[in-house]
Amino acid sequence: MRRSVVLWLAVGWVGLAVLPWYAIEDGFWNFAWLDSYPVDSDVGPALLQGLGHGRWWLLPVCLALAAPLGILGRWKTDPWFAAVLLMAGGFGLAYTLAQGFAIGIRGWEFEALETAFGELGDRQFGMGYGAVLVCGAFLFFLTEGIAARGAIKGDVFVVGSIGLVIALVAAFIFFPITRILISAVQDNDENFAPALFFTKLFSGDIWGLECLTANLTCGVAWNSLFMAILVGAGTTAMGLAFALIATRTGFRAKKLLRVLTVLPIITPPFVIGLAVILLFGRSGAVSTFLEWAFAIEPSRWIYGLPGIWLAQMLAFTPIAFLVLIGVVEGISPAMEEAAITLRADTWRTFVTVSLPLMRPGLANAFLLGFIESLADFGNPMVLGGDYDVLSIEIFFAIVGAQHDQSRAAVLAIVLLAFTLSAFYAQRRWLGRKSYATITGKGDSGLHMHLPRRLKILSYGTALPWAALTAVIYCTIMFGGFVESWGRDHGFTLRHYLEAFSVTTGAHGLVWSGAAWNSFWTTLEIAAISAPLTAGIGLLTAYILVRQRFVGKDAFEFGTMLSFAIPGTVIGIGYILAFNVPPIELTGTGVILVICFMFRNMPVGVRAGIAAMSQIDQSLDEASLTLGARSFTTLRKIVLPLLRPAIIAALVFSFVRAMTAISAVIFLVSANYDMATSYILGRVENSDFGLAIAYSSVLILVMLCAIVLIQVAVGQRRLGRRGAQQFGLEGSTG
Amino acid sequence: MTTKSTAASVRFQSVVKAFGEVVAVRDLNFTIEPGSLVTLLGPSGCGKTTTLRLIAGLEMSTSGKILIGALEVTKLPASERDVCMVFQSYALFPHMTVLENVAYGLSVSGMPKAEAHAKAEQQLALVGLKGFGARLPSELSGGQQQRVAVARALILEPEVLLFDEPLSNLDAKLRRHVRQEICDLQRSLGLTTVYVTHDQEEALAVSDRIIVMRNAEIAQTGTPHELYEEPADLFVADFIGDANVVTGEIKALDGALAVVDIGGVERRLPHRGLPPGEVDVAIRPEAIHLSRERVDDSLSGTVSKATYLGSHLEYSVETPLGELFVIDHRVDGFAPPGTTVSVVMADRGVTLVGSG
Amino acid sequence: MKLPNGYRVAFAAAAMMLTAGTAAQAAENFTLYCSPQIEWCQLVIAEFQKATGIKVAMTRKSSGETFAQINAERKNPKGDVWWGGTGDPHLQAAEEGLTAEYKSPMLDKLHPWAQKQAKQSGYKTVGIYMGALGFGYNTELLAKKGLPEPKCWKDLIKPAYKGEVQIANPNSSGTAYTTLATIVQLFGEDGGFDYMKQLHKNINQYTKSGSAPIKAAARGETTIGIVFLHDAVTQRVNGFPIIPVAPCEGTGYEIGSMSIIKGARNLENAKKWYDWALGPDAQKLMPKAKAYQVPSNAGVAPPPEAPKVEQIKLIDYDFEKYGSSAERKRLLAKWDKDVKPLPR
Repeated sequence: MRRSVVLWLAVGWVGLAVLPWYAIEDGFWNFAWLDSYPVDSDVGPALLQGLGHGRWWLLPVCLALAAPLGILGRWKTDPWFAAVLLMAGGFGLAYTLAQGFAIGIRGWEFEALETAFGELGDRQFGMGYGAVLVCGAFLFFLTEGIAARGAIKGDVFVVGSIGLVIALVAAFIFFPITRILISAVQDNDENFAPALFFTKLFSGDIWGLECLTANLTCGVAWNSLFMAILVGAGTTAMGLAFALIATRTGFRAKKLLRVLTVLPIITPPFVIGLAVILLFGRSGAVSTFLEWAFAIEPSRWIYGLPGIWLAQMLAFTPIAFLVLIGVVEGISPAMEEAAITLRADTWRTFVTVSLPLMRPGLANAFLLGFIESLADFGNPMVLGGDYDVLSIEIFFAIVGAQHDQSRAAVLAIVLLAFTLSAFYAQRRWLGRKSYATITGKGDSGLHMHLPRRLKILSYGTALPWAALTAVIYCTIMFGGFVESWGRDHGFTLRHYLEAFSVTTGAHGLVWSGAAWNSFWTTLEIAAISAPLTAGIGLLTAYILVRQRFVGKDAFEFGTMLSFAIPGTVIGIGYILAFNVPPIELTGTGVILVICFMFRNMPVGVRAGIAAMSQIDQSLDEASLTLGARSFTTLRKIVLPLLRPAIIAALVFSFVRAMTAISAVIFLVSANYDMATSYILGRVENSDFGLAIAYSSVLILVMLCAIVLIQVAVGQRRLGRRGAQQFGLEGSTG
Repeated sequence: MTTKSTAASVRFQSVVKAFGEVVAVRDLNFTIEPGSLVTLLGPSGCGKTTTLRLIAGLEMSTSGKILIGALEVTKLPASERDVCMVFQSYALFPHMTVLENVAYGLSVSGMPKAEAHAKAEQQLALVGLKGFGARLPSELSGGQQQRVAVARALILEPEVLLFDEPLSNLDAKLRRHVRQEICDLQRSLGLTTVYVTHDQEEALAVSDRIIVMRNAEIAQTGTPHELYEEPADLFVADFIGDANVVTGEIKALDGALAVVDIGGVERRLPHRGLPPGEVDVAIRPEAIHLSRERVDDSLSGTVSKATYLGSHLEYSVETPLGELFVIDHRVDGFAPPGTTVSVVMADRGVTLVGSG
Repeated sequence: MKLPNGYRVAFAAAAMMLTAGTAAQAAENFTLYCSPQIEWCQLVIAEFQKATGIKVAMTRKSSGETFAQINAERKNPKGDVWWGGTGDPHLQAAEEGLTAEYKSPMLDKLHPWAQKQAKQSGYKTVGIYMGALGFGYNTELLAKKGLPEPKCWKDLIKPAYKGEVQIANPNSSGTAYTTLATIVQLFGEDGGFDYMKQLHKNINQYTKSGSAPIKAAARGETTIGIVFLHDAVTQRVNGFPIIPVAPCEGTGYEIGSMSIIKGARNLENAKKWYDWALGPDAQKLMPKAKAYQVPSNAGVAPPPEAPKVEQIKLIDYDFEKYGSSAERKRLLAKWDKDVKPLPR
C-alpha cells in the first residue's frame, strides 16, 4: 500500500464528489457559486450531475475512480496493484477526455454520435476544478501503475513527471497545432475541403518567382526564406566579430559590449523598428542630415527588405554573439599553440584550425538567426513595406479584410515547414557533433591574439555596429521625452504622465495613467509564468539528461517543438483549441500564462540540459542510495547545483513574457491586456511617443527584474573559484 | 569477525540486464552471505559495475529476481532499498559541508536536524575526520574525501554496503592504507559488503570471496586462495595474478591426479575433471625457479631479458615451451641476459586449466 | 503547519496562478469589444459607467482582429457588444450570423444613411458614425517637390505623383477595400480597374493597416495617403502639415458600426449600452476623443474640425452589394490578379 495512492484517490474523489465539475463562468477564484451549490446543475459535482441532473455520461468516471479502492490492501510488488492502476488510470483519462470532446455546449459534437444515440437535449461546459483534480488523479494512477511494473527504475516521481510533461505538452502544444492543421484542410465554414487546401498551398502568392524575371515581388515563402538566410548569415558574421573581440583582443570596454548585447533581448517589439524609421526613414534624422549635408535626396529605401534586415540584425545579433562566445572560448588554446609551433602564422592558424573548430557553433548561430527571423513579427510589421513575409501574411489572413482562416493555416504550415526543417537540420546535423574542446584537464595556454587583418575586420564591423546600437537606444530613450519625434523636439514629460501618472483621489492613490492596467497585468503574468516555465523546463531537462526510457527522442522533440512554432501560429491555435469545452481558457489570464509557459519552455530545457550535463550523475545516485526519493534528490541536490541555469531560465522566460507579441495579440482579453498589445495599439495609432515611453519603462523594469532574480536565486556554493556567468548566457534561444 | 544483525544476504536469480541490443549482464546467479565482503572483479566492460548498480537499484534488471535478505527488491527503486553505496568519484555533494553530507541520509529520512548532525559528528570521528565537519568537500584531500564518502554510507547502517572502485582516485601508497581501513571497518561492523574493482591485488587483499566476471557472465567464484591456486580457466588464471600458459599433455589419470607432460618434464597434478589429451597449464611466475646448474626434470632455457626491481628480479626466459615470465626473489643471484639456465617448476602454482 | 520551502513556493505559485484565472466579472457588467482608438473607447466607457453604473470590461482590437476573434469564438461567444470600427466586417459578421438582431428604440433618431444600413443588415448592425473617404497630403513635401495640389481621384494617377502615393492593401484593410469599391462605383467596373492599374504605378507601398498611409504622410514618409478623411483631420489636429481632400468626383464612405454579438451572455446590459451609444450623450463625446467623423444621431452636430458633409460629394454607396462576401471576394481576387502583379 502506498500513501501516494491514497492521497490521489482522495484528491480524485474530492474532485468527483465535492467540487464543481464544470468551469465556473465567473472565474476560477470567484466563490459566488457557493450560493447555489450543489443543487444548481451548473455548479454541482460530477457525482451529483450524473445521478441527479441526467448527465449519465459522467457516471463511468466514478467507476474508474472506484477501481483503485480494491487494491488498497495490496503491496506494490503485487501484479494486481500495477494492473488495476493501469486500467483505472488509462480508462479514466481516456473516457473523461472522450466525453469532454464528444459533448460540447451544443450537445453532441459529432453527427455520428447524434445519429447513434439520438439528440442529447443537454450540453456541457468547459472542465472546472473537479475535472482537473480527477484527471490529475487518473494521470497519477496511470504513471504509478507503470512505475510499479518497474519502468524507469520503478521511480514514481520520474514516471509521474514524464506523464505530466507529456500530458501538458499534448494539451498545450500538440492539440492547438493540430487544430490549426485541421483548419488548413477546411473551408471557412469548417467543411472538409482538401482540394482548396492544395490550391491555397501551391498558389502564386506563396511560391511565385516573378521577382527573378520582372520588377515584381516574389512569393511570400521565398521572401521569408531569403530574408531569413540574409539575417542568419548577417547575425552570425556580426556575432563572430563581437565574440572575437571579446575573447581574443585586449579590447577595454568589454563590459559595455555585454550591455549592448543584452539590451536588444529585453527590448519590446516594434521599438527597434520605430527607432530605425525615426533615423533612416524618408524624414528620419539621418536622411535629413544627409540631404542637408550632401544633398542626397531622401527616399523610402528603408521600407522592405533593407529595413527588416537592419532591425532584425540589431535584434538578433546578440543571440549569435551569446552562442559564439561560448564556442570561441571553448576552443582549446593548445590546438592553436600546436598549430603555431608547427610553423603556421596566426592568420593560417585561424583559417585552418580555429575557424573549422568553430564550425558547429557558426552553424548553430546561423540556424538560430534563421529561425528567429522567420518567426519575427514586430519588425516586419513596422518596416515591411511591400516586402511580404509569412509571419505578417498569416496575421493579416486572419485579421485582414480576407478573414481567411484556412489560408492562414496553410501559410502557417509553410512557415512551420521552414522552421521545423531548420530545427531538424540543427539537431540532426549538429546535435551530436561537438568540437567543444573543454576538458577537465585545465588548459593552461592562452588564446592567441587575432591576426592583424582579422582584427581590423572585426573592429571595422563590430564597432560601427555597436555605435549604431547605441544611437538606436539613445533615440529610444530620447523619443519618450520629446513632444513629437521628427517634428517637435521640445522636452516634455507628457508621454510618461499620460501612461504612468498617479494622482491622489478620495480613497488614496489612483493609478490614473493609461498604461497601469496593462503594466500590472504584464508584470503579474510574467512573474507567474517565469517560475512555472523554469520549473517545467528544468524538470524536462532533468528527465532528458538523467533518465532513459523508450521514446525519449520523440519526447525531446515534442518538448522542443514549440521553439520552432511562430507565435502567430500558436496564438491562433490557442484560440481555436481553447475557446470551447472541454478546455475553455480564452479570456482568462491562465491562457496567457500557459501560452508563455509552453512557448518559452525550450529555453528552460536547453539551459537545464547544458547545466545538468555538467553535474556528475553519481551525485544523484548517491542521494538515491542514501534513501532520498527522486523528488527530494531533485530538490536538495540537483536544484541547488543548477542555480545558474535557474537564473537563465527565469530571466529568459520573464523577459520573453514581457516582450512577446505575436501570440499575445490573439489572447489578450478585457481584463488581461498586455503591455505589448497596448503598445501595438499605440503604434497603430501613430502615437510613437507614448509607445516609446512605455517601452523604456519596460526595459528598466526588466533590468531590475534580472538583478532581482540574480539576488533571489543566489549563487551556488562550491568552494571553488567558479566564475559566475551572467544569467542570460546559458540560454541561446 | 562479527555479523551485524542488520546485515542481509544478496541473491541474484537468473538476472539479465540489457541496454537495447547490448547485454550487460547475462543470466547471473549468485548468493552473497550476510556479513561477508565479496568483490566483483573483472576487466572493464565485463558487467561488474552494472551488477553493483542492479543491487543498488540504480539499474532495473531486464529479467530475473534480486533478493536482499528475504525481500524481493527486483522492482523497488534505489531509495526504497536498504543499500548504501560509495562511489568511484565519491559523489560528495559540492554545495553541502562535510557534516551536511554525512548527515544527509539521516535528514532525508526524517530525523531532526540536530540529532542527525550529532550522529554525523560521531561518524566523522569514527573515520578520523573529527573537526572537519564545517568544511566543503572541495577543501579536503582525496583521501579525506574518500573517508567522508564512506562515513556518509555507513551512518545509515545499511543491510548492504556497496563500493564502486573506491580506491581508483588515490595514489598507490594511500590506496593500500585506505584499503586496510575499509577492510577493518567492514570486519568490525560486520556489514554485507559488495566491492567492485578491476585491480586483482586489491581484490585478493580485501575479499572473503571474489566473483570474477567476464563478458557479462561469471567466470569463477571462490575465495582468493581458491581463485589463485585453482583458476577455472585461462582467463581467470591470467586475470588473477600473472600466469605463463603453456601446452601440456595428460598422459594418464590416477585418482585425483593426472600425469602431465609439460615440455618433456613429467608432473603429477590434480586433473580437475580433465580428460587425457592436450591441456593448457598455467604456471605462476614465482612458481618457476631458475638454476645455473643442470637439474633433473627441468627444461633448459636462455635468459633473454632481466630486470632488477629491488625486492625481486624479473626474467624472460626462452624455453622450448615458449617465452616464460619468471619472478625470482633471490636478488643476489642476478643472471644477465644470455645466461643458460635450468627451469624448474615448483609443486604449487602449476595448474591444469583445460585446453584453450 | 511547517512545510519545506519547496512546498511553500509551489503553493505560492499555485495561488498566484489561480488569482490570474479570475475573470473578475461581477453581476452588473458586460464585455465590450472596442475597435476605434483607445482614448475614445476609454472615454465612452467612463461616461457610460457614470451614467448607468454598469461596469464594462473592454478589449481594444482593430475591427479585423475583432472580427477574427468573434469568428473564432462563434461556438462560445465571450463578448457582448462590438462597438465601432468600419462597417464592412460588421456587415460580414451579420451575413455570417455572428451577430444578433436588435431594433433599438433609438433607430428613428438616426440619419437616413444609418437607418438604411441597419435595415440592409437585417438590424444586426447599426451605424454610430460616418466617415467619408478621401486622401490627405503633406504640404511640406508637396511644396518641396513642387507638385500641384491633388483635388480629384483622377489627379492621383498623374505620372507626376509616381512613388508619392500610399494606400493600404485591400486584402488586409477595410479602408482600402472601401476605396476599391468606391472607385468601381464611380467609374464602373472596367473603368475602375483601369484606374486602379494606373494608380498602382504611383503607389510606393501598399500598407497593411488602413490608416497607416496618412500617418506615413504626417511623418513625411510619403506625400499622399489615401484614407478616411477623419483620419487625415486627426493628423492635422495633432499638428502635422496635412491637408485633407474630398475628391471632386465624389467619394464613398464608411459607416462605423455597432453590433450585438450572437449568444451574448449579458444581453440586457448589452442592449442598455446599445441604446445609450446611439444617443446624444455618447455621440457628442467624439471630438473630445479626437474622432472627427459624423455622428449617426441626427440630433448631434458634427465636430467643427470634421470635414463639412455638405462640401463632400457622397456617392450612393451600395453597402448591400459591396458589403457582401461574394462581391468582396470577387473584387479582391480580380485586384489580386489584374492589379497587384503589375510592375510599378
